[in-house]
Amino acid sequence: MTLCFFLAALLPWLHWDQGPATADAVKQAGIERLYVPAGQESAWKAAGFEARSFDAAQFVKLPAPGVEYKMNVAAATSMPWVDANGWRFERDRGGHAYYYNVPWRKAPLAAAEAYVYGVEAVIHPDARDIGAFGQMLAFLRNIDRPPMPVMANIGIIDDGSAATGEVLNLMARRNLLFQVVQAPDPKKYDLAVQIGTKDFPKEEAANPYAFATLIRQKLTDEKRLLRIYGSDVVLGRMAGDGEQVRVHLINYGGGKVEGLRVRVRGEYPHGALAAIGVKTTALVDLNAADGATEFTIAEMGVYAVVDLKR
Amino acid sequence: MERRTFLQAAATAPAVLAATLHEDLPKYRIVSPFQATAHPGMPGPYPGKVAQVHAEKSIDAASEKVDVPTVREMIAQGMRALTGDTDARDSWARFFTPADVVGIKVNCSGAPRIMSTPEVVGEIVRNLGAVGVKPDQIWIYERFQGQVDSVHYDRYVPAGVNIWTAEHSRGSIAGYDPKVYVEANFFGEEDTRSNLSRPVSERFTKIINVPNMKDHGAAGVTGCLKNIAYGSFSNVARSHSGFKTNTYSFIGTLATVEPLRSRTVLQIMDGLRGVWHGGPFSFNRKFRFYPKQMMFGTDPVAIDRLELDVIDGKRKAEHATSVWDRSMSHIKAGRDYDDNPSIDRFVREPGHIEYASTLGLGVYDLQKIQVRKIEL
Repeated sequence: MTLCFFLAALLPWLHWDQGPATADAVKQAGIERLYVPAGQESAWKAAGFEARSFDAAQFVKLPAPGVEYKMNVAAATSMPWVDANGWRFERDRGGHAYYYNVPWRKAPLAAAEAYVYGVEAVIHPDARDIGAFGQMLAFLRNIDRPPMPVMANIGIIDDGSAATGEVLNLMARRNLLFQVVQAPDPKKYDLAVQIGTKDFPKEEAANPYAFATLIRQKLTDEKRLLRIYGSDVVLGRMAGDGEQVRVHLINYGGGKVEGLRVRVRGEYPHGALAAIGVKTTALVDLNAADGATEFTIAEMGVYAVVDLKR
Repeated sequence: MERRTFLQAAATAPAVLAATLHEDLPKYRIVSPFQATAHPGMPGPYPGKVAQVHAEKSIDAASEKVDVPTVREMIAQGMRALTGDTDARDSWARFFTPADVVGIKVNCSGAPRIMSTPEVVGEIVRNLGAVGVKPDQIWIYERFQGQVDSVHYDRYVPAGVNIWTAEHSRGSIAGYDPKVYVEANFFGEEDTRSNLSRPVSERFTKIINVPNMKDHGAAGVTGCLKNIAYGSFSNVARSHSGFKTNTYSFIGTLATVEPLRSRTVLQIMDGLRGVWHGGPFSFNRKFRFYPKQMMFGTDPVAIDRLELDVIDGKRKAEHATSVWDRSMSHIKAGRDYDDNPSIDRFVREPGHIEYASTLGLGVYDLQKIQVRKIEL
């Protein structure tokens, strides 16, 4: 397992193009800083905001996070397709700033995603989401604390190709915690992945789903840092320093998840949960034994964070 | 009219020997803090023994109206035939005491068209009451709330009887015990656990299993084993993918998990209605039929073995493919199976019943199954 420090915690900015006449609504949402159309900065500043002029060219545009349900007809079961950007952030550690233009009800999700990956981001929400976006920012401010090293135990060499990008995407969606590396480093990672080698043939990567399965098999489920049971649409990221671990859980599904069971590698008998938009914020059935810690989150909205200690 | 002779069924078992077809079974890891009791409920005190009661008046095929007095008599005679008691109350008292908390595992996957008949469930509850089990100690349980709500069991049982479902919203695992599960990776799915319904491990002392007599597109048939197994655990649909299903070994494996195995003490197969194709659902009325029978026992394998012949016999009579047919020629993706009894979605696994017998859950060999047939 390797450790790589988060960037300093960044809260996403709002991109708001509704005009200074809406300042009261923005203020009521608890938002203090925003990007606005060129020429409006003065008016917004006069209204008490930290305002910047928005220039789309300064940002890398991202697809809206969320989930699509595609029917696997033969199995007659729903198979969700998660649209998540974490793999892009892992791939692109070049200090870019990102831009989300998201539909109604997706702004809190986008904000949580950007925060969890510690990237600079600006979010353009549907106007109806201003309150929910503000609540998420308040929640993030409340849980924020000094960064800890990111936890990952798969090191993957990225050739920059679209095929490898899709492999990274599938790994992230399966909660196979990875970092992009320049060269294999067996001392730091439980598994080194280099497409085109004997263990990971290039032709196998043509099917990213199967390739992610191959990576999972080679790592083994026992060695996985994070397992999630009870949802296909919750993705996690972890940071820790050996004595404590912070588990970020993002629910891309749009609805509440009930009874999420989480397994973290390592024994941490003490835990605390912070979750937005739900009544119950206690960890349930926490059990630390046999080299792992398991707990249940009775109810989860868009985002939850669990702090575990030895 | 009642025939009081025990009949030794002598039909020939289908020739497919599952062991040769399933050399590479999935690896299962069973996690449970519970130990088996000295005498687990399955196969229980009557291994290989089935009381089979048929009553022409039990249900009207046209209106599907159930004749409650006939059902009451079917249950009374079935229980007496199973236990050898002269008073049905004594039969029930062999299984249940006033101190028990009793779960009734109904089957509602085809509801409201076919399900554990509410009149049958009502009669079971009445019999529990007769031996002193209070209404609030009785729990009718299933996995999916929407299905159960469509049946309205509350109209057939006394106030106070609990009606509980594990999943108020589909996919939620809040109603399942995180400490009791079976782990297996069938197709590379991310969630590899199937957890036991919470009240089974946390509340019930005894369970009555009340399946229906149905065809099943994956398992071949669904009866006692499938109902108690797939109906008590989460995340089981993952065992099917493409045309392949792992019901062959997964059903029996789940049924062996403690405390489910020890606490499931009575099997009452509700075969008033049946489904001979398109199961476990019943979207198409033309595949519904009316065996007008119930089976009683403690051995789920023996009852399911008999059910297998009922369903396959009906399919043969209707010129549908046998549940034992493993050829790919009639397997097809999509919804055609909904209307065509010669099309299947999966390679069926009726061998799951015989496999369960190898796990000690009951008697599969027809030559060793004692069937007491009763005609009302």
